Amino acid sequence: MLKLPLRWIAAALLLINGFFPALWILLTSFKTEAELAQTPITWLPQHPSLDNYLLAFAEQPLLLFLANSFAVALLSTLLTLFAATGAAYALTRLQLRHRGLILTSLIAVAMFPPATLLVPLFEIMRGLGLINTYGALVLPYAVQSLPICTLVLASFFQQVPRDIEHAAMIDGCTRLQALTRIVLPLAAPGVFTAGILAFVNAWDEFLLALALNAAPGSRTLPVGILLYQGEFSFPWPVISAALVVAIVPLAIIIVLFQERVVSGLTAGGLKG
Amino acid sequence: MSGRNLWKLKPSGDLSEHTLAFWLLLPAALLLGLIVVYPVLKLLHDSLYSMSVFSAHAPQFIGLSNYADALSDPDVWRAIRFTLALCLVTVPGALLVGLGLALLSNRPWKWRWPVRLALLLPWALPLAFSGMIFAWFFNTEYGVVNDLLRRAGMAPISFLLIPQWGFFAICVATIWKSSSFVALILLAGLQTIPRSLYEAAELEGANAWQTFRHVTLPLLMPALAVALIFRTISALQSFDIPYAMTQGGPARYTETLSILVNTTAIEYMDVGYGSALAVLLFLLSMAVSSLYLRKLYRGAV
Repeated sequence: MLKLPLRWIAAALLLINGFFPALWILLTSFKTEAELAQTPITWLPQHPSLDNYLLAFAEQPLLLFLANSFAVALLSTLLTLFAATGAAYALTRLQLRHRGLILTSLIAVAMFPPATLLVPLFEIMRGLGLINTYGALVLPYAVQSLPICTLVLASFFQQVPRDIEHAAMIDGCTRLQALTRIVLPLAAPGVFTAGILAFVNAWDEFLLALALNAAPGSRTLPVGILLYQGEFSFPWPVISAALVVAIVPLAIIIVLFQERVVSGLTAGGLKG
Repeated sequence: MSGRNLWKLKPSGDLSEHTLAFWLLLPAALLLGLIVVYPVLKLLHDSLYSMSVFSAHAPQFIGLSNYADALSDPDVWRAIRFTLALCLVTVPGALLVGLGLALLSNRPWKWRWPVRLALLLPWALPLAFSGMIFAWFFNTEYGVVNDLLRRAGMAPISFLLIPQWGFFAICVATIWKSSSFVALILLAGLQTIPRSLYEAAELEGANAWQTFRHVTLPLLMPALAVALIFRTISALQSFDIPYAMTQGGPARYTETLSILVNTTAIEYMDVGYGSALAVLLFLLSMAVSSLYLRKLYRGAV
């Protein structure tokens, strides 16, 4: 057991490390432009105001960036769940030759570094006419989340007793119906966990979003907010407000679903 | 037979498990084919051509010239050196900080959720945002770091305008951002270590360091190995944080290989040369991770 002052120091370290950067942005977003231009800087806003938030929505189409991020994250999550469910079920429950080889190559291939794929992806998406559309990001994001979602789903499918499935098939279900009507509902927490991880991955991606969807109307939040800055200026009051707007949905997800996120990360991370 | 009809067959019918497995694996295979396998082949192909969007000629086969150019290009070597330096500092840094965070979080805290949230928030925060926030921290006039320096009576530093300090600031931001992921993985590893081992160590009269050295650390090795490989591969690919903090400046000193690939192929549209650079980046990643894997497997045998 740690002694009391040590305990306080340990707690302070953990909390400052975890929360200070986000807290600082929150404080910054309430400061006026004049206050931000002062030196020495102030730590707490002297005249808290919401003007930066109004500016953040007025100066750039922040709502559009938010909608783009939501659409891309949601669509890629659905696509990756669809593909990962089939793969995980085939890998855990069906007779399959080269099971190990298929699983390993699925993971190895999908973990291929995105920065190296950037160049051909740009050419392919341009060829398909998908540059600056949701499709350009939805497809690669679905692939990026495929390994972790497959691993999470496989570990949940393994926990569904085979007897339940067999009973359903004796009652006249096909194998596919056994999957959709029996196994999937029982593994719903796993589907949900995998979905959260895929959503957060997509919400956070920056490199492909910058390269493939740079047109103002199709930017996602990270690209949109980074490009708020001018060539030489960095409008911090507005940017900090925009950052807060972009972080809030993430914060809500992790506050509500923290246990799922942790269990999903470790299922995917430790087995992968 | 079309897929539609296949679905309708009863379990006693012709739909064998192999056929169903094929159909269930197909969406994943198609995605991987379109987004990874075909692009990789195209990447290798393009890297042998001189093809630029700005040039009037059709793509021209030039063999390994792009690679030869890359290997004699000082910009490429600078980017490789910077990327490797970033790895050498941030991978051990993130593992150490992550281990510390995991050990602290694993204490019997009265409230578990704020501790867990303190690891999850940095993990969920987009890399690009972390870079922007740390750029603000390290701002010469208005940054919180220089405010602390001033209070301590020291002169402020233009972190993002001086190459070495830029490297330092990028390292700090990268370690902060990635240590939370490491901590989450290690925390899961810590929680699999049976309590009885700690009780046995206590009975034997082991002190805290001995317990850590002989009980915790060996049993944490698999989790540490996973974190090490994940971290190294992503550190070699570093893009978001340096791009958000310095855009590769000053004078391209903090340009990583990924930034160079993006600038060459996407901004300057030099597809052939950019493809060759991307292949080099891939070979570098493979070399480093196979080195690790061999070490790890040898350790396990």
